[in-house]
Amino acid sequence: MTDRLFPTQEIGSLMKPRWQLLGQRGEPLDTAAQTDFARWNDRLHFVPGDDPMVRKFLGDRSREVGADTVRDWAALFLLRYLESTGLDRVYDGEARRIEMYEYPVRQMRGFQFVGHVRSFDNKYYLKAAGTGEVRLDHPYHVDEFEFVRDHARATPKLPITGPYTLADWSYNEYYLRRYPGWKGREVRRRAQRDFVVEIAKQAIRPTLAALIEKGCRVIQVDEPAAGTHPEEADIVAEGFNAATEGLDAEFLMHICFSDYRPLFPALLEAKRVHQWAWEFANRDTDGRDGYEILKLFNEYGDTRQIGLGVLDPHRDEVESPERVRDRILRAVKILGDPRRIWVNPDCGLRTRRLEVAYAKLQNMDRGAELARAELAGRAG
Amino acid sequence: MQVVTSLTGAFPRSEALVQATRDLDRGRTTTEAVNELYLRTEAEVAQVEERLGLEPRAGGYLRWQDLFRPFAETWEGFTVGPLTRWFETNQFFRQPVLHAPPARVAGAVANWLPLAGATEVRPRKAILPGPYTFAGLMDNRSGETSEALIHRLGRLLGEEVRDLRAVGYTTFQFQEPLLVNRPPEGPRSEAVVAAYQAIAAAADGSTTAIWTYFGDAGPAWPLLTRLPVSVVGVDLSETDVLQLAPPGERRGLGLGVIDPHTSLVEDPAEIVRLARSIAERQRPTTLWIGSGAPLDLLPWEPAVRKLHGLPAVRQGLAASGGNS
Repeated sequence: MTDRLFPTQEIGSLMKPRWQLLGQRGEPLDTAAQTDFARWNDRLHFVPGDDPMVRKFLGDRSREVGADTVRDWAALFLLRYLESTGLDRVYDGEARRIEMYEYPVRQMRGFQFVGHVRSFDNKYYLKAAGTGEVRLDHPYHVDEFEFVRDHARATPKLPITGPYTLADWSYNEYYLRRYPGWKGREVRRRAQRDFVVEIAKQAIRPTLAALIEKGCRVIQVDEPAAGTHPEEADIVAEGFNAATEGLDAEFLMHICFSDYRPLFPALLEAKRVHQWAWEFANRDTDGRDGYEILKLFNEYGDTRQIGLGVLDPHRDEVESPERVRDRILRAVKILGDPRRIWVNPDCGLRTRRLEVAYAKLQNMDRGAELARAELAGRAG
Repeated sequence: MQVVTSLTGAFPRSEALVQATRDLDRGRTTTEAVNELYLRTEAEVAQVEERLGLEPRAGGYLRWQDLFRPFAETWEGFTVGPLTRWFETNQFFRQPVLHAPPARVAGAVANWLPLAGATEVRPRKAILPGPYTFAGLMDNRSGETSEALIHRLGRLLGEEVRDLRAVGYTTFQFQEPLLVNRPPEGPRSEAVVAAYQAIAAAADGSTTAIWTYFGDAGPAWPLLTRLPVSVVGVDLSETDVLQLAPPGERRGLGLGVIDPHTSLVEDPAEIVRLARSIAERQRPTTLWIGSGAPLDLLPWEPAVRKLHGLPAVRQGLAASGGNS
């Protein structure tokens, strides 16, 4: 834990380097991938350059390295990448994860995958139906966390998909079927609550407990679906409470790209949330004040920490340190207490090239330093 | 009372089509091969419709990337804009951006319709965006007011109706989720009425329908009953139709009884019971039965499974006084 003001953290996944994608598939690295690997390794030293396996990988025997080793290297790379930008809390850029829904659901019983649904254009996602009582096969993300724990120099912060999002992105058959008669809005709401709470109790909580047992102290629960059904904000909170019941760790709730207003005050009933890590920079454009929404926390008397999004992950434009500073100071002005503020990107930077994301994160670190200096100057 | 069962919007792509379109994006197949598969899959949808007695035939709208894309890509005045969330779903559409008052390119949209070349398939239904939803979800930078734009879109869609009638379409359904998700007020309501008057004039006695979903139709019901269309469809997963006042003049009522938000298959007997009590109160001339929101919120197999109960629904309602 850091004592400095405006500590910094990453929030989600990063783009996978091309050498990882090729290496995992057992395909030979092209020149660009080899150069990229070597260049970043010269900078970050995430693997020993004279390791025979690395030589094979960068030579013409990349297939002999194996997918597991490539994944380990990718996790180490992104860990060092994040640490080198000065972050106080890091993870592995979710180097081992492909998505945030299918993998957790595959660790549970009570679900059946029923086919692909279109997200947009020719992009689809595999969707499951809850067809039975939710049960956990085994806690997940544990090996991944242990690897990060064993290698991280900064504090690890583990991201995990929350119970509401897992339920919302699934079809609810089992819990809906338990209600006789027409499945109108109120029945669907009750069945949704049952589904969320069961996922929370039966699958997420035991997973969180296993992670905490392994030393995980900071856990970010991702609930991107929360913003799409604001009338169910109370269910989001209830699911969070059920997932964290009796557990001792520092919990964040991350929700992005939403209109947050309708989530108030119901969401604030998520009692064990230590920090709200939300998106602000994305809407801080075109003359709009993206940080205005923070006033709602004052209005409802919620004094918990804020994970302040200061980088827009959907733009290549690199925010200047001064812009980051101004955003932080704007939040201080609204919230009053600077000790409540952690600084982070709005969301994972995985849609940005690694060079761009790196520049953004470096400027975030510099911007936080400028904000500290500004406050220190005022105090002096 | 006539009872009609029909598809009410886009159908999911089959798993084969999912794979083919993914492959196309990755350069692993050709446009020609995917177009061939589109044709075969449209024929499969047509077979499902025929087998289950769903008509007028809609055809699935498998090629449409979203409800507005054929218009945004072919009509003048538009560009295709950013990805935007499609109501409270995990689907996204590319928001049409309107830079100048829109102008229709005759015949352009017709090429996008499923069954376009299958003139032997009859009766056929064209499913088009409703003027209010279209106007409300685009980024209007044309300088035209919302009200004028709604009215103009009504006239342009009316021209589409006129042309499509000439090539054998007999029923025209307009998708209007925004009418119940964000009902219009004041002058905008009047613009919606004017838009549908333009469509009705062009329809010249053909069947026209408005289909609403993603919201409770209750608040918009007074407006919906004023619109000059043959049928108004409401989503029963969102709306308590028994609470709606019957319209002054008898006309068709659409009931979205299949809920694409869940893969759980509805009980036909339950649907019949509910539809019967609604029909007794609303006394519609025609009862349309289908899904609330379009079935493309589901994968292919669950969507087909959920349709299988419709013949039993039709028969159950016919036994109680409807003619299927």
